Amino acid sequence: MPSKSEFSEHTPVSNQPEEEAAVKEEQQVSQPPSEGVKSEKTPVKDDDTEAVEDYKRTKAAAAELWTLPESIADLHDIGEASFGSPPPIAETVHGPDDRVQITNTSVYPWRVHASLLITAADNSMWIGTGWFIGPHTLMTAGHVVYIKNSGIPGRDGWVKKINVMPGRNGSTLPYGSVTSTKFHSVTGWTDSGNENYDYGAIVIPTELGNTVGWFGFGVYSDSDLLSATGNISGYPGDKPTGTQWYDSRTIASVNSQKVYYDIDTAGGQSGSAVYRIVNGQRHGIAIHAYGGATTNSGTRITTPVYNNMVAWKA
Amino acid sequence: MCKVISGIVRDLHGNPVAQARVYFTDGPVPWSDIATLTDSDGAFSLSAPSAGTYEIECVADGFMPTAARVTVTGDKEIHLEIWLRT
Repeated sequence: MPSKSEFSEHTPVSNQPEEEAAVKEEQQVSQPPSEGVKSEKTPVKDDDTEAVEDYKRTKAAAAELWTLPESIADLHDIGEASFGSPPPIAETVHGPDDRVQITNTSVYPWRVHASLLITAADNSMWIGTGWFIGPHTLMTAGHVVYIKNSGIPGRDGWVKKINVMPGRNGSTLPYGSVTSTKFHSVTGWTDSGNENYDYGAIVIPTELGNTVGWFGFGVYSDSDLLSATGNISGYPGDKPTGTQWYDSRTIASVNSQKVYYDIDTAGGQSGSAVYRIVNGQRHGIAIHAYGGATTNSGTRITTPVYNNMVAWKA
Repeated sequence: MCKVISGIVRDLHGNPVAQARVYFTDGPVPWSDIATLTDSDGAFSLSAPSAGTYEIECVADGFMPTAARVTVTGDKEIHLEIWLRT
């Protein structure tokens, strides 16, 4: 159960405060998904993963952590003149890279995920991922909508704009690109920069979610999460521009505010849904935000996170 | 406050490479799983969350991925030059 101070860190903030919505008090367990307009449907498998051709899920237990090959220790130091050799792996990929490219991105559930092109306050450009939870609203990481403690003059604060491209597949934008300038996050991130509160939302001016659909989301117990298979699909920067990649693995561990997993990701996947499949329906359980040397992690959808998501859902 | 790592990405002819993705792939603490894009001058800047040794990867369409290892200490800004091969 979160403490009172933990709840205060979930105080919602927006770059348009006059439109800030109050947190709803209903304590519902979950919100339902929507598949949007009818299209070809992607089935799910018995192990609660997506049925993707040629995709084989890694079933290694969390304790069976993969060990870096010695060769990676030979990467050139930055003091050397050249960095010509490609690295053997990206290290937010833990063990063999299981990610598989999704090419039928114009169908549900893949079209729920959006490639994000972010313009920060200092006009620096970034890539991230978001996912629809309603007709107008996408969830993402807090650091996608609000940059904190960058150390770079003019960069910190709400980003200027985000181009939202649902179901992007390289240069193909099956649902176009929508520009958003309306964002939400919470004080635990915008004031404190605390990774436990690193989540936010993007509000778009069109009802594109009614077309592409959205994921449900819910608050789940530790035991529920630890027995669940986590799924992530998003837009990593280490793959060809704007292509969507999927992976799944059992949730490795949880604490009161975070979910940890060895689902492969790379820079650009911040904001992706970490979701589980329940009775054939997709439900978000966390918002992916961090890579790590041994595990990746996301902000857990706890009751206060859930309440904010319900309030932001439009 | 984060430690700043800035740099320029060039091809082997010395021309700046715009729209290259630059991001962390290893570090002493978890890092934001976001990637920055180089500007028209090939320039970028990332913020390392704490002192320590990080690995940065740079990927651009038409070039081979390139990695660099960098150690940040104190408040001194690190500047990199990353050269991409086709």
